[in-house]
Amino acid sequence: MIQPSLIPNVDPNPLPAPYWVFELLLLVTFVLHIFAVNFVMGGGVLALTAKLGFRKQEKGGRIFFDVAKLLPILLPAAITLGVAPLLFVQVLYGQFFYTSTIVMAWPWLLVLACLVVAYYGFYYVSYRGKRHPGKAGIVMLVSVALIVLIGFVFSNNLTLSQTPSRWGAKYFADPTGWNLNLSDPTLIPRYLHFFTAAVAFGGLLLVLIALSKWERDREYARHVFQFGGKAFLYATMAQFLVGIWFLFSLPLDLRTLFLGGSLLATLLLAIGLAAAIGAMFVMARALRQEKIRLGAYAAPGLVALTILCMATMRDVLRDAYLVRLFNPQQLAVRTQWSVFPLFLVIFVAGVALWFVMLKRYGIFAGAKVPH
Amino acid sequence: MNFPVWDVTFGAGLLIALVAILHVFVSHFAVGGGLFLVLTERRARRSGDQPLLGWLKFHTKFFVLVTVVFGAVSGVGIWFTIGLINPTATSNLIHAFVWGWGIEWVFFFIEITAALLYLYGWDKLDPKLHEWYGWIYFGAAYASLVIINGIITFMLTPGAWVTNHRFWSGFFNPTYFPSLATRTLICLALAGVYALITASVQKDRALRARIVRWSAWWIVPSLALMPAAIWWYILRVPADLWTSARGAIPVATHAVMLGGILFLVLLALAVFALLQPRRMHLAFALVVAIVALGAMGSFEFVREGIRKPYTIANYLYDNSVYAKAMPRDGGFNVDQIDQQGVLNTAKWIDVRKLDPADQVAVGHEIFRVECQSCHTTNAYRGLKKLITFRHWDQNEIQLMLGRLNLMHNGVMPPFSGTDDERAALAAYLSTVAPVVPSQAAGPLDGHAVFVRNCAVCHRVRPQDPLFLYLPKDPQTAVDALKSLPMLFPLMPDLKLSEEERIALVDWVNTQRGVAGAGAGGAKGGAQ
Ligand code: HEC
Ligand code: HEC
Repeated sequence: MIQPSLIPNVDPNPLPAPYWVFELLLLVTFVLHIFAVNFVMGGGVLALTAKLGFRKQEKGGRIFFDVAKLLPILLPAAITLGVAPLLFVQVLYGQFFYTSTIVMAWPWLLVLACLVVAYYGFYYVSYRGKRHPGKAGIVMLVSVALIVLIGFVFSNNLTLSQTPSRWGAKYFADPTGWNLNLSDPTLIPRYLHFFTAAVAFGGLLLVLIALSKWERDREYARHVFQFGGKAFLYATMAQFLVGIWFLFSLPLDLRTLFLGGSLLATLLLAIGLAAAIGAMFVMARALRQEKIRLGAYAAPGLVALTILCMATMRDVLRDAYLVRLFNPQQLAVRTQWSVFPLFLVIFVAGVALWFVMLKRYGIFAGAKVPH
Repeated sequence: MNFPVWDVTFGAGLLIALVAILHVFVSHFAVGGGLFLVLTERRARRSGDQPLLGWLKFHTKFFVLVTVVFGAVSGVGIWFTIGLINPTATSNLIHAFVWGWGIEWVFFFIEITAALLYLYGWDKLDPKLHEWYGWIYFGAAYASLVIINGIITFMLTPGAWVTNHRFWSGFFNPTYFPSLATRTLICLALAGVYALITASVQKDRALRARIVRWSAWWIVPSLALMPAAIWWYILRVPADLWTSARGAIPVATHAVMLGGILFLVLLALAVFALLQPRRMHLAFALVVAIVALGAMGSFEFVREGIRKPYTIANYLYDNSVYAKAMPRDGGFNVDQIDQQGVLNTAKWIDVRKLDPADQVAVGHEIFRVECQSCHTTNAYRGLKKLITFRHWDQNEIQLMLGRLNLMHNGVMPPFSGTDDERAALAAYLSTVAPVVPSQAAGPLDGHAVFVRNCAVCHRVRPQDPLFLYLPKDPQTAVDALKSLPMLFPLMPDLKLSEEERIALVDWVNTQRGVAGAGAGGAKGGAQ
């Protein structure tokens, strides 16, 4: 049963810009964040796979370190890009977000302890790993396991924040915050859906690494390309099963939205699927014909389209979950014209400066990724 | 009330303090350390000091590992923690200042990118370009301080915002500039403090001494200027906020003293490093860092202490109750809760009906929603210890609860709720802290009577109204004390026995040196 009385009120301050502005910012920054997260997690998983899978060959170790040295850059990217959606989700959905985090306060807070440990682990592997390859494998395993765990806690929080009917029982049974949302039937498929996507992204990361070595070390690059491309293919195939499971774990009324119930939702699903299938074909062909550029540009491009559709579907799903409890039309709005434009200006200038910084470093001129 | 209250067994306030102190200790380094890096690099390149450059490269790595990793994650940690412990305040702040945070986020993004490029660029970039990244880093880091400072100071001194709700009124609030000055100095000092650590492990003695002296030059002048900045800050804190801090809140008073002492120790250590740079040792550097951490921690405690009972001064109490009614406040303001009752207002309450059988359970829930943001039962600011010390029984607790906002010069919000609810809370608290019969069977001690009944609001000093206005004539005073509300309408209606009143008057008169004291044979005199 839904307990509307437990859902907190929004505070007295009006939204400082129209709803859609925040919705858009949330969506865009979330997509960027999830890109980085997927690269970290999938890259880490595949690095470990390479190390274990090709134990006798030196290549496995090389792939391991080629990924490992990127992680201390990808992880801060994931964190910095994560702060923005964290901000905007609180602007729009604070009453749901804060409450579910409080119900599962300790796991939520401990995420950060895990993050610090994982982060230092990545630095260790990147700086000291080559000197102690054995230890590096173990440290990497711990770090990646922690990242995988963090994702799981996030999934718990997300599903919990959308199902207020579960809050009361959990909170009153244990107000000290030692809760998760394990009994939610969508939790596991939802998390696996995300995990599988991360592995596919790890594959793409390897393809990009292969691209950067293509001219200098063809033999190794070819190997990395095959490994990464196949990881992408298998993960994406598995994703179809996981995705169907996820879809059918949803409550009936929400599921039907994506199966014709809502034009937007159905269209998004169709485009997302088509793009994913397209990416698989492209990648398969690229692997067969050893066309690295096809694999490194066309496939990720299609995947980006898929992710955009999926992230938008995620929003549609959230709003559908909360449809009776949350109505954006009811939010008071008073745009802060004295500062909102300033934000936009600084935002645009910041992005420009960011590109200039990368350009002057030589990253676009094919310079090695910094290390 | 609006949100569930997370029951942090060891104390919500303590948890926030821990996360916040660790974070500020690193984040201020992240700002000052950036300037330190570029200026040191310039200096080393101008003088062709290769060993210094070598050390600086090493120091950059240390800097990134501390600030980009721990600093960034603990910054998110503050977000998480305040959202968990003070969701109402966080939600208000977010809606009022999201564009400020948005701007800060842009700077944060630039800052992290620049830090990594600066680190990775040491061997790759030409010196000019490398320094360029350093300057961008520092510029962005300082800009994020400029922004966040507006929001932090807002909570203590929201100024005109409370009435006009305008972004810039809240941002450039009365303590904005003094706080920025203070924090800037802290940043500079911390840059030196951290540099001592990496300097101290250098094998080359001459180099080590050079770096230590240079680092100490970052610390000593910054510390020397800091009292002025802090004084400016103090002057800009409105008087009504100060009174609560000046009272007998042991935590804040102790923190002021501790902070002051640690500050002086830090200054002394830094001067020593300046004069004896060759004697620097890792252990010494770590002591300096720990002392600095302690000093900063104390000042953060003081700031928190001054702000009590508010999270956002004059607007929102620490227990998430609004000070005054306003549109869209959901009824979570003191007046409305007094009328409607906690049980009818709070969302996150399980037992809503006040049956006599449930009194204690209901009292527990009221405790959770009204008091637990600042108190625990047994740990940090634990009420068991506090109440046991006063020897209050259930009736006294109930009377005192009616006047919480007067205690210790007003560190607490008023109790809000109906009289029945107050009784339930008192019932619960009396199970937390059952009365311990005082063992002293001898003649009544006037001081003990004072501690038990008056000391939560009155202090032993000549200008306190109790000592000023209690009639001097012993008998008149003893009679007057039959009814405290007759003396001053807001005082709780405590009923003291005849002996207690005599002992108390006796002791009070001894304290203020009025003739005729001591006649009652009380032990008075000792504080
Ligand atoms: C804004 C934070 C805050 C809130 C909310 C708060 N208190 Fe306090 N309380 C304090 C502080 C600070 C002290 C002084 C503590 C000390 O001496 O360590 C204090 C002291 C006390 C004392 C002891 C007074 C004495 O010196 O003996 C009692 C009793 C007390 N509080 C009860 C309550 C109750 C009951 C509630 C809830 C209705 C409550 N407080 C809510 C901050 C708060
Ligand atoms: C809950 C808080 C509280 C407690 C407990 C309390 N008082 Fe007071 N008392 C006050 C306040 C507030 C005032 C008014 C202060 C002012 O005028 O600034 C006051 C004023 C007084 C005055 C001066 C009245 C006048 O003529 O202006 C006397 C005398 C006094 N108190 C005595 C006592 C004694 C004796 C006790 C203990 C038995 C006691 N009070 C306990 C809050 C308290």
